[in-house]
Amino acid sequence: MKSWKILTAAALAAAFAANSWAQQTTLRIFTGGQQRPDVMRKIADEYQKRNPAVKVDVEVGGATSEAQQQYLSTVLSSKDSVLDLVLIDVIRPAQWAAQGWAEPLDAYLGADKAKVLPTYLKAYADANQVGGKLIALPYFADSQFMYYRKDLLEKYKRPVPRTWDEMMETAKIVMEGEKNPQLQGFSTAGAPIEGTVCTYLVPLWGMGSDLTKDGKLNLDTPQARQPFQLYGRMKQAGVLPRNIAEIPTDRIRIDMQAGNLLFAMSWGYVWNRLENDADSKVKGKIGVATLPHDQGGKSATCIGGWQVAVSAYSKNKPEAVKFARYLSSPEVSKMQAILASHLPVFPSVYKDPEVLKANPWFAEALPVVEGAKSRPVSAQYPMVSDIIRSNMNAYLAGTKTTDVALNDMKSRLKTVYR
Amino acid sequence: MNTTATNPSANKDLSERALGALLLAPAALLLAVIVVYPIATLFWTSLTSVDPNNPQAGAAFVGFDNYLRAFDDDRFWHSTWNTILYIVVTVPGALIVGLGLALLANQPFRVKWPVRLGLLLPWALPLVFAGLIFRWFFEYNTGVVNNWLVAAGIEPMQWLSTPTLAHWAISLTIIWKASSFMALMLLAGLQTIPKSLYEAAEVDGASKWQQFREITLPMLRPAIFVALIFRTITAVQTFDIPYAMTGGGPGDSTETLAMYIHKTTLDFLDFGYGSALAALMFVISMVATAGYLRYTRRSTSRSGED
Repeated sequence: MKSWKILTAAALAAAFAANSWAQQTTLRIFTGGQQRPDVMRKIADEYQKRNPAVKVDVEVGGATSEAQQQYLSTVLSSKDSVLDLVLIDVIRPAQWAAQGWAEPLDAYLGADKAKVLPTYLKAYADANQVGGKLIALPYFADSQFMYYRKDLLEKYKRPVPRTWDEMMETAKIVMEGEKNPQLQGFSTAGAPIEGTVCTYLVPLWGMGSDLTKDGKLNLDTPQARQPFQLYGRMKQAGVLPRNIAEIPTDRIRIDMQAGNLLFAMSWGYVWNRLENDADSKVKGKIGVATLPHDQGGKSATCIGGWQVAVSAYSKNKPEAVKFARYLSSPEVSKMQAILASHLPVFPSVYKDPEVLKANPWFAEALPVVEGAKSRPVSAQYPMVSDIIRSNMNAYLAGTKTTDVALNDMKSRLKTVYR
Repeated sequence: MNTTATNPSANKDLSERALGALLLAPAALLLAVIVVYPIATLFWTSLTSVDPNNPQAGAAFVGFDNYLRAFDDDRFWHSTWNTILYIVVTVPGALIVGLGLALLANQPFRVKWPVRLGLLLPWALPLVFAGLIFRWFFEYNTGVVNNWLVAAGIEPMQWLSTPTLAHWAISLTIIWKASSFMALMLLAGLQTIPKSLYEAAEVDGASKWQQFREITLPMLRPAIFVALIFRTITAVQTFDIPYAMTGGGPGDSTETLAMYIHKTTLDFLDFGYGSALAALMFVISMVATAGYLRYTRRSTSRSGED
């Protein structure tokens, strides 16, 4: 009798332990070093407070989108279940859908899908659906803006430039007047990295053209030469840094922060760093505007931003989807806007007074983000990106002429767009 | 009678052989798992191809198509050529610098540790760190190299975005990184040379240079060959330092074969083609080292005849 009682008690205890074990779920989310993992941690802490049964581990990966994807390709190609959620670049959903790495979210959202999707900025609702499947949920939006030195434009009584030519002229005047050999006129990504794809595409789009037309390669146009010629002119005018072919994305922010840059084409995160970093020499001296365009063209910009995907190999998919939905909520969009100047994925959040207090330029940012264009959508995007950026980089370095760079670009892109 | 007498000893031989095989089995199994299996998988993968637009359909057997594709691929030849350039520059470069360092470290200093530490430090540093450190050195605005140039009244140079300069900057970094390992191996070789040989040469009136040519170099030859083989194999695989310094840029003018393989597999997810390129790199490695092996065999057999 006695032994029977002990056995029951032990079984009960074991069942209880197993039950509480099952209730505690650990979710592991991967984020890049550039996507403010500190802010992700704060958001995760808030989620843990509200959901005591969930523990969130934040794994921080490489600084660039390519470095992150190389790591993720290794993890996911081996079907490893270590990651539950992943922040992915806006250029990736097509590839992730093709590889089957992301758990489609349609079934989890059910009837909510039709209700939730229209509340996002349209571009992000579109970017995350591939072949009718919802691959990921938007985490934060982004696009490229022109950052400029308000104080220097005022000093030389120059307006905020609307065209590239105006910008070059202003840059020359300010650079001559300042006599500071460290001061550069205009900078953008020029190293062989992902951001350099936009360096080529923005002036191309500005002329109303695009890389493809009806799914066919469209680079036999005069507009396809435009980006090369534009940067060629800037180089000749001495407005571009001489080492432009060595400049990666965050270098632009560093140069601007050190007070060595007049105009820059860069992403939303820069604002927060320039205004809040302890070593920033340009606090309160920075303006943000839409990017300049060519005479007869109109301003264009690349869409950026990060999405939260649930790994197809996760062992905690329902819990992971719940957390993903929290990360993609107006509340978290607002937190990110205030803490990191990450652009919200909901139009409504742009008008929030607290958000506007932290980022006065967000009022004008909304139409820019709404008009931003997507880089080519392709399951083979990494190849497309490599072709564009390595040729743009070679042109900026001066090792290829416009004709050679454009021809190499065309002949290699033909293997993707047959 | 004879047969019965030999039988027990044959049995003993057999059991000893069986024991030997048994003792070797774990090591052989381990080698099979970590060496043979991946190589076999790589070769098999190199014979397959995945449709990049529909990767979930799986890999199809394509025979030697991936190898044929490589021969038509300009970028394969270009990256192979870059790799050969690094071999041609950094193998002799590291040998000369390494030999110098080894001779220096072999001097009877009273305090030996600073020299030995100086030898060990570059070798112990991870390759990517070395690449990053030298990238800062060669950086256009803030790099120390351009600072020196400006101080000397010379225009600063774009070390990392001019193909020729980038090649030299990368080669210099590789030589800096590799020569300490060279020196360590050569130093071990130097210390096996008996002092009596030098004493005898001194008595015969040989100069320092004659001693170096007639004693040090010939006695050091086996160590030099081993060091050269190691350096050549790692030079064929050059990846980390150019990856950290230029990312293959400008364009793809400093891209090595290993970097192209990395890009093909991990960026483009073209595992079939990437595996074929890796198999071709193995062939290049074999060709490059086979020359040394033949030479060493010939030289040792000749010294046996003498």
